Amino acid sequence: MSNIKIKSKNLNVYYGDKQALFDVNLDLNEKEVTALIGPSGCGKSTFIRCINRMNDVIDICKVTGNIEMDGMNINDKDLDVVSLRERVGMVFQKPNPFPKSIYDNISYGPKIHGKGETKSELDQIVENSLKKSALWEEVKDRLDEPGTSLSGGQQQRLCIARAISVNPEVILMDEPCSALDPIATAKIEELIDELKKTYTIVIVTHSMAQAVRVSQKTGFFHLGKLIEVGKTEKIFKNPDNKMTQDYITGRFG
Amino acid sequence: MNIVLIFLITIFSVSLFFYGKSKTKTISIKDNIKLNALPKFYGYYLVLWCSIPALVFLLVWSLFEPVIIKSIIIETAANQGAIFSDKNEANLIYEKIKAIHLGTYFGDIDSILRESALAYAKFINLFTNSKVVLIFGIIIASVIYSLKKIKNNNKARDDVEIILKGLLFVSSLIAILTTLGIIFSLLFESIKFFSVINVFDYLFGTNWSPQRAFVRDASSITAAEFEELKDAFGFIPLIAGTSFIAFIAMLVAVPIGLFSGIYMAEYASIKVRRISKPIIEILAGIPTVVYGFFAALTVGPFFRQVGENLGLTVSSESALAAGLIMGIMIIPYVSSLSDDVINSVPQSLRDGSYAVGATKSETIKQVVIPAALPGIIGSVLLAVSRAIGETMIVVMAAGLAANLTINPLESTTTITTQIVMILVGDQEFDSPKTQSAFALGLTLFIATLILNYIAQRAVKKYREKYD
Repeated sequence: MSNIKIKSKNLNVYYGDKQALFDVNLDLNEKEVTALIGPSGCGKSTFIRCINRMNDVIDICKVTGNIEMDGMNINDKDLDVVSLRERVGMVFQKPNPFPKSIYDNISYGPKIHGKGETKSELDQIVENSLKKSALWEEVKDRLDEPGTSLSGGQQQRLCIARAISVNPEVILMDEPCSALDPIATAKIEELIDELKKTYTIVIVTHSMAQAVRVSQKTGFFHLGKLIEVGKTEKIFKNPDNKMTQDYITGRFG
Repeated sequence: MNIVLIFLITIFSVSLFFYGKSKTKTISIKDNIKLNALPKFYGYYLVLWCSIPALVFLLVWSLFEPVIIKSIIIETAANQGAIFSDKNEANLIYEKIKAIHLGTYFGDIDSILRESALAYAKFINLFTNSKVVLIFGIIIASVIYSLKKIKNNNKARDDVEIILKGLLFVSSLIAILTTLGIIFSLLFESIKFFSVINVFDYLFGTNWSPQRAFVRDASSITAAEFEELKDAFGFIPLIAGTSFIAFIAMLVAVPIGLFSGIYMAEYASIKVRRISKPIIEILAGIPTVVYGFFAALTVGPFFRQVGENLGLTVSSESALAAGLIMGIMIIPYVSSLSDDVINSVPQSLRDGSYAVGATKSETIKQVVIPAALPGIIGSVLLAVSRAIGETMIVVMAAGLAANLTINPLESTTTITTQIVMILVGDQEFDSPKTQSAFALGLTLFIATLILNYIAQRAVKKYREKYD
């Protein structure tokens, strides 16, 4: 049994008057992939955005309850959000490389946090990040080309490289393959398998097959509530809850 | 007379509308046929047919009538024995004849003039009568034609559509032709100017003193006068003054405008934004002449006072005062345009930056601004062309003497100011001095055209990237 990295307790999220999450209690294990599934608008993305406090960007969003990483309260008002996000990286649904060169896309994070003070250190970080995201071989000769000139799948791997460039402990992935074709998706999934050796990963996905392929633990959300959570194998073979059963067999959602 | 005719045409058209509408209705009921359009379209159809041909005819007639009458009268007067050597004298005689006809001529009237005036009266009468007859003829013909069409149950809706399309086309044509007309009038007068003053003397001369060119007629300039004139129209001091003031203006407008744009787009809450954005835009609504007062009466003297206290000589009409006020005037352009382009940078880029732990200002500085840069440059260039073309503030605050200086405390002048100077008051329209205004106008036009083109290209390129 691996250690618990992140622990949420009675987590509630409100967008204005609307409640988006209801008393979510979910533990994420260290160096494991946790998949979150559920129909659109069920709160999966809202949940992972609580982990790196991305909900702060939205004015009307209010979060109550407890969410801890290694015993540190993430929801603490006095918490330094910048250093939290340094430890919890994120990859978005649509690849969003900056309109900068491939090199600058990766070196952006380390520079901000003062990592890689010399050019050669920075070069090393960029190379390592690109190698870890399995993009190095494809782009090593054109690091000064704009990141937006890459294909969709490459762009998404570039974004993964950007996320791991600051050496986080946790990586959040919000439907990272929904804008990609099957081949690019397969590459990303392979990459996730590799990355879980170093990082704790949470992935939101609409594809059951993907959840089965990449994750060890799966949580099923419905209408803002965590309906069921458990080992991926169990959730997909023998769920306790009727609703989970219905969803994974495609009867609704 | 024309007003009466237009009034009649209008009344007639409006009544035809109701006629057409009810007529087609009764036809459709009586003969039990399905109309090809709603009854009101038959009304419109009649109105358009009744009014447009008649009005177009009236317009064309009114344009040509005076010209034709004039040439006829001058010819008759010549036949009567009037003597005139050139066009100007002929015009003078024609004006006399007209005045006699209207009873406002108080000089001696000889037999030639009297006869011509009678002939004039005769022609005026003839033309007016034939105009009325022809217009009614046209109305009757077009109404008969359109009524016949209606009886045959034509596709009035489509026909109205075609006529309206034509009207819209003509409107845009008028706009384009006017622009062309302005360009050509600039061009022709400039060509006249450049036939006296060498283009290179103009473009690279460093001395601007057009008042030296008092010579009456450009064609009768002597060699000595020409030498005198040659270096009176140097463009350099004007473009230098213009760029200098525009530069000062941009020093004020770009930072303030850009920063307020960033604040509005990134930091201001919806409430603040809703209140402060209109207030900034009020700045854009203040007439430039009011800014001019402010610059000339408040800011200029203030600078002079401060300068005196510091032991500096500050002209009360300084480039600094004019540039500063112009900059304030331009702030809303820069701020609202850069606000727009910053807003159109996708949120996903900001999220990407926040997600690696960047703060808001780091995100803005390193991601948002670079992404919006082409658009920001475009908005700045638009502001520059606005600054270069601005007239009123510099007329009031920057002075008239064409000094070639880089001291912002001295008075300097701009292209637009000089154009105003040259064309205010009585002018000889064939002296090089007056014509130089057109050359200046043309140069200014080309400069702003190029700037606008570059700016629009930059903005467009930026748009393509994120659409």
